[in-house]
Amino acid sequence: MGFLAPIMLVGALVIGVPIAIHLIGRRRARIVPFAALDFLMTTKRRTARRLRLRERMLLIVRALACLAVAVALAKPFTSCERKGPQVTRGPQAAVIVIDDSFAASVLVEGKPWFKRANEEARRILTQLGPEAEVAIVRASEGAEHPTELTRDHLRLRDQLLALEPSARPPDTTRALTRAAQLLAASSHVRKTVFLLSLLAKTGLRPDEPPWGKDGPTLVTLDLRPAKLSNVAVTSLHVDPDPGTGTRGVSFDAEVGNFGDAPAKVELSLSIADRVVARGQLELAPHERKSKRFLAALPPGARATDAAVSLTGDALAIDDKRYVRATLRDEVRVLLVDGDPRTVRHDDELFYVEAALRPGDREDSGTQVRSITAEELAGIDPRARGRTAAPTIDLNDFDVVVLANVPALPPERVAVLNEWVRAGGGILVAPGDRVDPTAYDRSMLPLLPQSLRDPIDTTWGSSQEDRDSRALHLVKWEADHPIFTPFSKDAPELADAKFFKISLLGPTTATADRKVLARFTNGAAALVEASIGAGRTLLFTSTLDRDWNDLPIHPGFLPLVQQAVRHLARKHALGSDSDHLVGSSVALPTSDLKKLEIRGPDGVGAVFEGDRLANRSSVRFGKTDHPGVYRVIGTDQTGATRDRDELAFVINVDPRGSDLTPAQTSALPASGTGSATTPADNQRRVELWHALAAIVLLLLVAEGVLVQR
Amino acid sequence: MTRLQQQLDPLQLARLGSLPVKARVIVEGALSGLHRASVHGSSVEFAEHKEYSPGDELRHVDWKAYAKLDRYYVKQFEQESQLTLYLVLDASASMKFAGGGLAKLEYAGLSLAALAYLVIQQQDKVGLIACGDRGIETMVPPRARTTHLHDLLGVLDQVMTKGGRGDESPAHALTRIAELSRRRRSLIVLASDLFDPDDETVRALCTLRAQHHDVSVLHVLDPHERTFPYEGLTEFHGLESAAKLLANPAAIRKEYLERMDAFCTKCKNTLAQAGVDYHEVLTDRPLERTLLDLLMARARLQPGTARRAG
Repeated sequence: MGFLAPIMLVGALVIGVPIAIHLIGRRRARIVPFAALDFLMTTKRRTARRLRLRERMLLIVRALACLAVAVALAKPFTSCERKGPQVTRGPQAAVIVIDDSFAASVLVEGKPWFKRANEEARRILTQLGPEAEVAIVRASEGAEHPTELTRDHLRLRDQLLALEPSARPPDTTRALTRAAQLLAASSHVRKTVFLLSLLAKTGLRPDEPPWGKDGPTLVTLDLRPAKLSNVAVTSLHVDPDPGTGTRGVSFDAEVGNFGDAPAKVELSLSIADRVVARGQLELAPHERKSKRFLAALPPGARATDAAVSLTGDALAIDDKRYVRATLRDEVRVLLVDGDPRTVRHDDELFYVEAALRPGDREDSGTQVRSITAEELAGIDPRARGRTAAPTIDLNDFDVVVLANVPALPPERVAVLNEWVRAGGGILVAPGDRVDPTAYDRSMLPLLPQSLRDPIDTTWGSSQEDRDSRALHLVKWEADHPIFTPFSKDAPELADAKFFKISLLGPTTATADRKVLARFTNGAAALVEASIGAGRTLLFTSTLDRDWNDLPIHPGFLPLVQQAVRHLARKHALGSDSDHLVGSSVALPTSDLKKLEIRGPDGVGAVFEGDRLANRSSVRFGKTDHPGVYRVIGTDQTGATRDRDELAFVINVDPRGSDLTPAQTSALPASGTGSATTPADNQRRVELWHALAAIVLLLLVAEGVLVQR
Repeated sequence: MTRLQQQLDPLQLARLGSLPVKARVIVEGALSGLHRASVHGSSVEFAEHKEYSPGDELRHVDWKAYAKLDRYYVKQFEQESQLTLYLVLDASASMKFAGGGLAKLEYAGLSLAALAYLVIQQQDKVGLIACGDRGIETMVPPRARTTHLHDLLGVLDQVMTKGGRGDESPAHALTRIAELSRRRRSLIVLASDLFDPDDETVRALCTLRAQHHDVSVLHVLDPHERTFPYEGLTEFHGLESAAKLLANPAAIRKEYLERMDAFCTKCKNTLAQAGVDYHEVLTDRPLERTLLDLLMARARLQPGTARRAG
């Protein structure tokens, strides 16, 4: 506060006058001897108290009046920051940039911040007047921006009224850039950008100034509350958790505290909209912590929605994060039995089938079809009709296992090779029925290396020496997906004894050939190679117990399953990739003739006809809301059902959860011709009018008190 | 006498010479407008004739009437017993209050002096008791002699000169009179402001009246006590105590006047019920008027009270 005429404050000494009058007045009371004092004394106490009170009030009122007069004469004034943006009415170009990122829905004093910002925007629009050319630019990432300024304020007002916070993070810099572009096209001299934003630093890129020196005037409306905290679930991953069972999954939720105060939040995990676990987290300011939930997927479901949410936060949209929890995708395996037997355990595929479908359960993750080598003729379209073998469509399978299969005719090999090149996976294991010479003639397009005659390490040994002369698996690629379940010296693999193995010859015309495991004698045990988009694996021993006892070792089951999944390229499944709001999602069309996508708000898209024909995948971009997006597919037969395997989830971008305010320097400076200077933001408020009114009131009060 | 025929301002009267003079002036002023016969005469006055009957005293036979009428008539007389008047003057401190004119004590003293003068003139006995100062009671026994008037007025003058003091109510003095005049009915005139917190005075007056004494009260009040005309911050000091009160008179005037009215009404009603002759007089009221009111009231009461057939 300041004074225009501070010398007048000396007049405040006049305050002594009423005090002196008060003190003197007490002494100057007329003394009257009075006979009937008893008649007065009955009211003495009340009268005296009232009199004292009145006298003191009079003193106070008079002193205040004197003081107020002196202060008023000194012409006091104060200065204050202008609260609202400086809006000048008249012809001009203006862009109102409004923050509609999801953070704008944060509750401030029980009311969404965006509502307040929207009201301010409409107020600015009104104050600009009908002659102003205006545009509304939203400051969320990926928001559509207007192409020109307009004088149609009614439409702009309706636009503002219809505006709601998006689910996207802020991109203020882009919005300002667009505002500058719009204003640059205007012929008006006065160009202003009104910025109504939470000014989160994540939305500003100081290294990309939206305009240069001759840019528009920037008027920033500071509607941000002094304290703004936010706690959000910033990421959520789901992984298989074999320890919890075959349907066990673990959810790792990361929670971030973006406020300046410690936070204690309650987390809950819900699977298929049912809360199955709860937990608590205490977070220091600006700390991120992870919380792991273990759960089992509901019986019968191979995939389901899950979400981790927290409660008690002012910004609700980022308090919940979705994930698709999927048991491993089913691998369709075609097992070709080269040595079928009537005795079950003597069959070449007995152990492989048992390993791929343990317990023969539906949820084993594998669909297995076993055929004989002869039946494999069904894959060859030219052979159809000539043989009794049923037609086999290789596209129905992800992996083909050739177990001890004699060399196939070149036509069949060609079909298999084409299928592998298109993305299929093939596992070849030799046996007594495999002739390396015949293999060299026809099977090389399917092998990473040619086969040589097998060696029997126990040849000529006694029964006692047999075990000691057996080979063992060593030096496997521990980092390879097939061997990830095993430790470096896993006994479940290393203890297996191999009595006979095929040796390998020259490499073939495959790519990325790699020996994944070797025997103790240095011979290759498992070789991998790429054929086009597919893969081939060559195991140099049998898949039953003819040449080794691996099938009766614990390592056999995971080895076979991992190998099949590796070939089927379905290793990393278990959780979908994290799609963010606004991102486009690619969906395989498979053989569907109609694909319908429904978002959490019920709105979606339908792909059919030309949009689906001759396309292996479609892209869906209307991911404006976080949540689970369902996919309903209609196949060629006209059957329509939920395609759980195609469903996906959309989450908000955790960048938008960080409400940390940006530095003032991060904002672009007003351009030339800026009408806004720091001084302009200061407004002088003269106080003497109010003081004069107070003096009048005091005089009235004094008059009333005197009369009483 | 022309001047005295007018109603005299008590303040001016107070400036006159000695108390006997003042008393005479008051009495003459009061009587100047009355029919002389009503108050003139000795103690034995002719009333009417009665035809003689055996047993009547022969000395009361009116021989002149016999001469004229040839019949015997006996004179009947109104025989007044000798009046004993006790004047009781409240000389307590509260009586020295003078709002702007005569002090209540002076006014009461002058009134009683005039009454004494009048009664002595009628050859009745007059006594005086001045009370107020505790333990010091001034008493002049009732006498009928003319010289007694001088003594009485002298004492009264002394009391008035000394001014009011003390806080004793007249109740004690009234009780004393009741003892003194036990065998003979008396007229008792009290001049007081009756400021007695315990109402002892009023009760004593009622007691006297119950003993068949004639009792009159001059309730002497100052006009300021009845109007409370003070303005501005005022500190009131009690006359019979050390109490003080700082007050704004305007703020308490209404309540005070209501209380004072209630007090006077209560005194008047209580005494009237007991048959006590009550007169509220303000000190700015002409003294002869006060005296006359008192006499007129006595005259109205006479047939049923003091007058007796002889």
